[in-house]
Amino acid sequence: MKRVGIPHSLFYYYYYPLWKTFFSDLGANVISSSESNRLTLDQGIKLAVDETCLPIKVYFGHVQELCQQHLDYIFIPRLVSVEPKSYICPKFMGVPDMIRAALDNLPPLIDITIDVSKSDRSLKRDIMRVGSLFTNDDNQIKRAYTHACQENRFCRLLAREGYTMAEAISLWEGEQVNNPASGDLNIGVLGHGYSLYDPYISMNLVERLRKMGCNVFLPEALDIGCIEREAATIPKRVFWTLGRKMVGSALYMDKRADIDGIIYLACFGCGPDSLIGEIIENKVKNKSFMMLTIDEHSGEGGLVTRLEAFCDMLRRRRMRGEGNLPAYG
Amino acid sequence: MRSEGKLLREAIIVHYYLGVDIGSVSSNFVLMDQYGNIREKVYLRTLGNPVKAIKEGFAQIKSRQGEQLDIRGVGTTGSGRHLADVLLGADVVKNEITAHAVAASALFPGVRTIIEIGGQDSKIIILKNGIVQDFAMNTVCAAGTGSFLDQQAARLNIAIEDFGDYAVRSRQGIRIAGRCGVFAESDMIHKQQMGYPAEDIIMGLCEALVRNYLNNVAKGKKIEEPIVFQGGVAANAGIKKAFEKVLNSQVQVPEPYEVMGAIGSAMLAQEQRAQSQAPGNYRGDDFILEGEFKSSSHECKGCPNLCEVVCIKRNQEILAYWGDRCKKWENSINRQDKLQVI
Repeated sequence: MKRVGIPHSLFYYYYYPLWKTFFSDLGANVISSSESNRLTLDQGIKLAVDETCLPIKVYFGHVQELCQQHLDYIFIPRLVSVEPKSYICPKFMGVPDMIRAALDNLPPLIDITIDVSKSDRSLKRDIMRVGSLFTNDDNQIKRAYTHACQENRFCRLLAREGYTMAEAISLWEGEQVNNPASGDLNIGVLGHGYSLYDPYISMNLVERLRKMGCNVFLPEALDIGCIEREAATIPKRVFWTLGRKMVGSALYMDKRADIDGIIYLACFGCGPDSLIGEIIENKVKNKSFMMLTIDEHSGEGGLVTRLEAFCDMLRRRRMRGEGNLPAYG
Repeated sequence: MRSEGKLLREAIIVHYYLGVDIGSVSSNFVLMDQYGNIREKVYLRTLGNPVKAIKEGFAQIKSRQGEQLDIRGVGTTGSGRHLADVLLGADVVKNEITAHAVAASALFPGVRTIIEIGGQDSKIIILKNGIVQDFAMNTVCAAGTGSFLDQQAARLNIAIEDFGDYAVRSRQGIRIAGRCGVFAESDMIHKQQMGYPAEDIIMGLCEALVRNYLNNVAKGKKIEEPIVFQGGVAANAGIKKAFEKVLNSQVQVPEPYEVMGAIGSAMLAQEQRAQSQAPGNYRGDDFILEGEFKSSSHECKGCPNLCEVVCIKRNQEILAYWGDRCKKWENSINRQDKLQVI
């Protein structure tokens, strides 16, 4: 049985169920690296180019961990675009090359190019090429891919119930996950999934807010139609997939009467964030908005202070009976 | 009439609320009576040892008052607020934003904007009717805060207390790059070697810091009067002058500008005690004054995160653990079988 490694990082949080099902259905044994921890971060910082963002650095740590597991392949897709006319951050395009340049004890990489910006023809061809590493039966590959897409959709449905993508994946794998606790404040939380849902990178932001008595609203739980409709109100179309989703989510949350405040988690050194964060900050008019920037520092004090102050502000304002700012300008 | 009221007030047995603000650079203490009068204030340098600072600050208050103090409530704030809570037993442990806002709106009812610049961070707080509407803090970078001024004062061999006076004497500030502390320093050295007077360079630095503050921290926020400027850096008249120049409005510095966080937390403690029936958490004078406090740290080997766990001890008794991501150590405090470092 061939062993395929999948790093527990970056687009793991959006597509792990898909790739795991695909490779398992083709008879492979899928191994993912452990959750991000200090070791992954330390290794990643040592290996990665200095100018990249924190999630990419952490990804290097995950690949390094997988290198020690006697694998036949490591799956490192070259992500260019996952939907028509939209793109993923250019750093993702270079990930397989950066990894090859940085690590020398690598097993063979499966570096399929995922680019459906114009059509999905090349993706289909690449899927068949990857599948043929495991089987000669073309129909089995097609069936596996269809099944994989179904499983991924199912996992997204779980996330609509208010779970983070990390929790949804755990649920999908059959693990026990506590129901998201409910509280007296409704906070919308936005950020790139690979930083927001990685508890180590985000310093457990979502769980912390829940412990402070907040209901956390995540983009995955919102109606995708509403998100796209709001995102379309920006004069120039945002062509980053995740960026557009965040702009749309922020504007949609801004209009919803039940949301008390919005928090945006940005990564220091992230190109798209520097623009998207700015756009959101300017466009959110009715809600309290806070942008948090994270980087390598492990001191949690600054983050905790800001979260506490944000919740305090919302609660004290309500205590005075002022309620929210008017929900519709 | 007034003195009579004062006499009457002193005749009634007073009780006190203690406000403590343990910051990165300074540790501040305020003793407030039940009428909201500030009876004592202490401003100390933390000097990297908050435990010692807390003990010393409390001892100073105690020796100045010279009597048995009836402390009914304790509030702590600042980055060392949890440590102060462990040592003193706090009723309220609050973040700096709330504490500063409470103090400023008590001293200046109707305040709309609070500029607070401390040792490691700077904030802007926007209020409406005494309630925080919006706030922002500096992001990852500490350029333009008190520690940077401290460092530059030391480099120029000027006491930090005189820094502001130098700046105010200047007639024309020199343009200094304020975007980043490292750039600002090399810019200052460059200007100094060209022969510009120190006064003008210092004023230029003040202006650069103000520019940096307005572009980063206060970015996009509407700064409306009345404006209150507080925190340790408010001692620097040069910064105040630069703010007034750029904002073209009057900036007020409260008399106890350096202990506003402590005042706010004392007020919050009083507010909390008034609402609660339960006895206060204050551990008593002897607990803090008589005890031998020690802190130690170790690397927890329970998982690959290798958290550096801090342990606070009083004599032999373990008071608190923190720093562990999984809270395994922290949560063991309330159990009989406390985890112990072997």
